[in-house]
Parts: sequence; structure tokens; C-alpha cells
Amino acid sequence: METAELKLQLKKQIVEFLNLIQVKPEDIKDDEPLFGEGLGLDSIDSIELIVLLGREYGINIQDPKEGRKILVDINTMVAYIEQHRTK
Amino acid sequence: MNRVFVTGMGIISAIGNSVAENHLALKEGKSGISKNLNLFPTKYASLLPFAQVGISTNELSSKLKIIEKGVTRTSMLALHAFNEAVEDAGLSGSIISAHDTALIGASTVGGMCLTDELYEDANKCEQGSDYTQSYDCASVCLFLQQRYKMSGIINTINTACSSAANAIMYGAMLIKNGFADRAIVGGADSLAKFTINGFNALHILSPETCTPFDENRKGLNLGEGAAFLVLEKDAAEKKIYAELTGYCNANDAYHPSSLSEQGDGPFFSMQGALQSAGLAAADINFINAHGTGTENNDEVESRAMIRLFNNPPDFASSKANVGHTLGAAGAVEAVFSILSLYYQELYANLYYNKAIPSTGLVPVQVYKKMPVQHVMSNSFGFGGNCSSLIFSKA
Amino acid sequence: MMYIQHFNCISPQHNVLNNDLDLLNDASEKKMQANEPVYESIPPGVLRRMGKAIRMGVGAALPICKAPALLNGILIGTANGGMEDCIKFLNQMVQYEEGLLAPGNFVQSTNNAIAGQLGLLTENKKYNITHVSRGLAFENALTDAMMQLKENPAGCYLLGGVDELSTYNYNIEKLAGAYKEEVVSIKNLYTTDSPGCIAGEGASMFVVNNDAANAIAKVEAVTTLHSNNLNEVKDKLKIFIEENLCDDDKIDLFLSGENGDNRDLKYYTACESLLNSNTTVGRFKHLCGEYPTASAFALWLCCILLQKQNIPHHIIKKKTTEKKLKNVLLYNNYKGYQHGFMLIKSCR
Repeated sequence: METAELKLQLKKQIVEFLNLIQVKPEDIKDDEPLFGEGLGLDSIDSIELIVLLGREYGINIQDPKEGRKILVDINTMVAYIEQHRTK
Repeated sequence: MNRVFVTGMGIISAIGNSVAENHLALKEGKSGISKNLNLFPTKYASLLPFAQVGISTNELSSKLKIIEKGVTRTSMLALHAFNEAVEDAGLSGSIISAHDTALIGASTVGGMCLTDELYEDANKCEQGSDYTQSYDCASVCLFLQQRYKMSGIINTINTACSSAANAIMYGAMLIKNGFADRAIVGGADSLAKFTINGFNALHILSPETCTPFDENRKGLNLGEGAAFLVLEKDAAEKKIYAELTGYCNANDAYHPSSLSEQGDGPFFSMQGALQSAGLAAADINFINAHGTGTENNDEVESRAMIRLFNNPPDFASSKANVGHTLGAAGAVEAVFSILSLYYQELYANLYYNKAIPSTGLVPVQVYKKMPVQHVMSNSFGFGGNCSSLIFSKA
Repeated sequence: MMYIQHFNCISPQHNVLNNDLDLLNDASEKKMQANEPVYESIPPGVLRRMGKAIRMGVGAALPICKAPALLNGILIGTANGGMEDCIKFLNQMVQYEEGLLAPGNFVQSTNNAIAGQLGLLTENKKYNITHVSRGLAFENALTDAMMQLKENPAGCYLLGGVDELSTYNYNIEKLAGAYKEEVVSIKNLYTTDSPGCIAGEGASMFVVNNDAANAIAKVEAVTTLHSNNLNEVKDKLKIFIEENLCDDDKIDLFLSGENGDNRDLKYYTACESLLNSNTTVGRFKHLCGEYPTASAFALWLCCILLQKQNIPHHIIKKKTTEKKLKNVLLYNNYKGYQHGFMLIKSCR
């Protein structure tokens, strides 16, 4: 899958999984921070995103702290997915 | 307003089936936590440690002569502790069923210990199990109410892990405000696939026995149990364990499942309890800390203790003894706090090794005798719910 | 006692004051589901994670929390809290075989998530409590509010009753025989002689304090009983009236929780029989359906009726010539076992 295509797919998955009402997938910028300013996600969301990576891409992240390094923005997530996906 | 005395106690936990057994285990520094959960099938049974009460549900059922339909393990644990408490306080059947005797319970799991049955009943519409009226948290107290034909105020509180502390507080308020002359207060929760998976999903279950207040703590262990106290306004000529002198509930208002860095909720609940007791921080001899063993709780609680006490008194968590019993925790630990007062001794916070660097606080590490006049007991829960109780030597 | 300053409700109805029964929302698929508004007061970032009970509770409360920081506490009665989230988490557990689970549902499923979220959104760090004693959860929260006001007379509290109707608790209650087998319109709810009621839901919120000056209503007293003995229920009511109503005073309206279930009717008629012949009898379950904290809806309705001094026809079971509405007795029972009585007085 092309990186651009993967990015859009991931954005759609994030919006659906976290039920981000009022957010359109295509409006999320690739370098927009997911936490704090930007999308304004919190620590429960970070765990939910780890679950999303597990279920959709077969990526197993045990330590939520490790997760925080991957879950910076769409760019970092996609880079990680491309390297580590098992499905 | 009326004063509130503790005249009876009952408890069942992973370290004993009675107050006496729990007392002995605390003195000996025993832990009831192990990796051989056998209450129900779950993939975590031997992967994660739990603090399971040492009696099977069937044994409990026959021991308590359960003939009613749809009685869950949570209700049985509650009845076991309730029976001990009322007997200890010498309450007759007619006193228990009198209009001025209230029952205030607490639970977060309720009948959901039957996770698989609940799944079936909620998703299928064919034939109901015996438990359709037993899943909610209220089912526990309603069962006790029916057993003892109680006619006073019956209530159940669920504020997550601070539930039982709030039940104790509510019972005390009923007595103070003249809604009851005595209140049987406490909480019960049993291990459930539901809570195991919930806490596991939040990544706060420790793969080993928990180590409260230790630098390298890895999370909490779930436990189960029940404890009840008999609170009375008029305790003349009765054995008095302690007086409930202060209480406060405050809200951290920060996050649905973790505490704020500065620990406003814990700070305000401890401060409010002191105010309601008319005590100064220096009057507290011992703090029974919530101390779950999670990274967040122990650090924030420590910080709040330093903020209020400056130089905190002796403190310890019993979570490495009995696990985190959730809705029962506030009552289980009220019993432990009262034992400290009654016997003038402190019990060790197990498995502590090294202080949390940012706070440097060191809990009580070995059992010791010492004069104890006032004990504060903390319970903090999801939703930022924080409660502190103060028990004083009567 | 205490005074109600503000009140708000999310219920299956748009406008309960409509005299025309045809303009009321009827049950659909045997359920009376809440007519949820667009939740403008809830930030979207928070709303996205809320289950129905939390949404309704927070959504009903925020509009009346004018100066939230001034509240001395938040007291909620709810039997089930976030039942839907609870079972959603359970279903995840089964579907993914206790594997990788998203914790959001679990966090939202605790009964105290409504009060907790309200505390969070209004930045209220005071008393925060959740009573869950099934059919008397609201009465217990109300008793609590009275005690808080006694200990803190200058205080001001948010008090509410919330329960949601999810597919799951509907299924469980249906298995337990709580609902009518046949499809019944709210128009025939009270005349259908069969076991069971119609399922309902809602959230009712009140701001209460000790200030009589601007109040809508005064909650004079509340009492509760667990019993299925008719005489015990009658005795409880007799004593309640004796203790709380002067000899020269009377109940103007008896607002009864009759729900069309022929198994529970005897308690309502027995209590009705104890009242003065000049007491109007009203009913409300055709408006909100049956749920454990429906008495919170009844209290909300009572505030409206006292404020408007007008009782819509569809509420009235027995009419009297009395024009002025001053004292209202609310009586509700849950499954014929949990009985709650409240005495409400007009402040106007």
C-alpha cells in the first residue's frame, strides 16, 4: 500500500475507533500532534490507539510508554506501521 | 450532632475469613496474593497474581445456608462479613430489623462476578439465568436486607474504589442527622473476569505481587473480599473499637481514571477529614494509604501527603496483603485501621524496597507497637473520587 | 427539607404540558427512549466518549449549573450507570478472547462516571457521590442532599437521577419478566390489565439549597421502605403524612408511579385509598416509562406542575374541584418492593 493511502486509511480508523465526532479524517494533518494541542487526545486514547495498531496491523506494543513515542502524529505512526506491520 | 462509635467488625479477605485471622496475618506480614485463580475460567488465571478469598463459592453457599435463588459470590462474601460484624456488636435479629438500623453497602462489581452469565443474559433473549436480578451493585445489599428483614434505610454506593469509604461516611451522616441510631456499613466485591480485563486493558495490573510505594512498582493486584462495621450513636456499656471522628469526600476533577500530578483530590479529602474531626495534621499518628502500587496513585498520594503533612506520619498500604478489593477496599482498610488503634500497633507495608525518588517517602516496613490515637484511612477511585476517614481511639 | 432552585430533564417527551395526548411521544418497539437534544453544552472532545447515561446526565445538568464552581457537591442516583458501555466492554472481551481490549468502555461503565464527568467538566472538586440502590437510588441521593444541607446550611448542591435504556438491560429485564409481552400504547398503559410495564429512561437534574426566597418548590421530606407487604406500605405512608403534614393541611395532588403492571397496582391503589377525598390523583409513567430512577422524573414533573399551577388532562386519574396546587405527595415503587415517598410543597 502507498504511504499516502495508508495515511488516509489510518486517519479513518482513528476517527472511527476514537469516535472523533466533528473530525473529518482528511482534515487531520500528517504532522498534527495527536496529544495535547492538535487533536487533544488523552492517555486513555493512547491505550486505545495501541489496541487499534494491534487489531488492524498486528503490531504488539506492551509498554504504553513505548507507545507514546510512536503515537506522536500520523507521520510517526505510519512510519512505524510500515516497518512493523504483520498484517 | 450525634457521635459515631464502631462497636462491631467483620471481614473476609485473602488473608483470612474473620477479623481474628486477618489480624494475625497482618501481624505476621502475610500476603494472600498468588497466581492460581480458580474461581472462573480466564486466560489470566495463572498469568497474573490475584488475592483470592480461600473459600470456594460452593463452600460459602453451604456454610451460609444459601437457599435463595440467584445469590452471587459477592453477596455471599458480604453476608459472611456482615454476620461476623453484627454478632461481634451483639445485635439481635430484632435490632437488625428495626426501623432505626440502616444498611449502607458498597460494591463496584456486584453480581458481575458472573461475567459469562451476564454476557448471555444481556445478548440473548431466549431463556434467562437465575441471576437476572443479581447483576447490579444494589443486589448485594438487597440480599442482606431480605435475609435480615431490615426495615431501615437501605442504600448502596458505587464511586469505584472509594465506594466503601463513602458508604461508611454515609452511614455516619445518617446517625449524625438522626435518620438512624445505628448503621451497618461496608462493602463487598469479588474477583471478576470483567474487572480483570478492564484493569488489564488500562495496563495497571502488576505481573508480580504489587509493591506499594516502591520505586519500581509495576501496578496493582486485584483482590476480593468484604468487610462491615457496626456504627452506633449510643455505645454505652458496649465494647467500643473506635470512634469515627472525621470524614471527607473530594473530587480530583482531572481525568476519568488517573489522579492529577498535584493531587488536589487526595489533598482536599485528607484536609477536609482533618477539619471535620477538628484535628491538626500533627494529631494523625498513622495513615492507612490507598497505595495501590500503580505508578500514578502512589506518587500522587505521596505528594499530597507531603503537601498536607509536610513531614507525613507513619503510613502503609495493605494492598500487598489483600490486593485491591475495589468496592470493598475502604471497609477492609477501615477494619485494618481500627485494629491498629485497638491494639496500638502498625502493620508492615510489604515488598517495599526503595523510595520513590521524587518524594523520598518510606512506609512502615516492619510490624511495630506504638501509641496510636488517630488514624487516617484513604481511598481513591476512578472519576477522581477521593475519600478520607479518621478513626480515633475511643 | 430543602429547596429546588433550578430543574431540568431529558425524557422521552418534548413537552409534557401538552394537553393533547396525541401530541405526546408514544412508545416505539415497546420502549420509551429519551428524546435527546443536541448537546451543545458538552465539548465534542468529551462527548465522543460518553455513553447514553453519561450524555443524558451531563446534558441535563450543565444547563442549570450556572455557576458550577459555587456548587458544594454533585449527588447522582443511578441504578445502572453506563450499562451499555459495560456490556460493550464485555462483548469486546468475548470477541477478542480476553486479548487486546480498548479500555474506554470499561472506564465509562463505572456507575460514578456521570458524577465524575460532571465534576470534571465543571471543575468541581467538592463532594461527589453516586447512589446505586436500584429503585431507590434517587431517594437516597435526595436524602444525602438534605443531610449535606444540614451540615452545610449555606451550601448549594446538584442532585440528579439518571438511568439509560440500552439493548442490554432491556434484554435482561425482559428475561426477568419486567415488560409487557404485548405492544401497548401509552394511551392504554393504565387500562391494560396485564403484567409488565413499558421500559423507559431519562435524566432529571435539580439545583438545591436552603434558600426559600426564589425557590420553585420545597422538598419537605422523603422516606423509603423495602417490603412487599401491603399493610407495611400503608403504615409507612400514614406515619409519613402524620409526621410531615399539619392537621389543617392536605395533599392536593397524589402523583402516583402507576406503571400499568397489574402486579404492582395494589400498592398504588392502597396508598390512594388513604388520601383525602379532595386530593387529585395523577400519574406520570406514560410520559417516561419505567426505570429505576423514574421518581427523579416525577420530582421534575412536580416542579413544572407547581410552577404552572396546571395539570394536563392526561396526567389526571381522579379529578377534584380544588384549584390551587400546594402540596404534592409523590409515591413510586420499583417492582413492588422498593417504595419511596416524597412530600413536595409549593414555594409560590
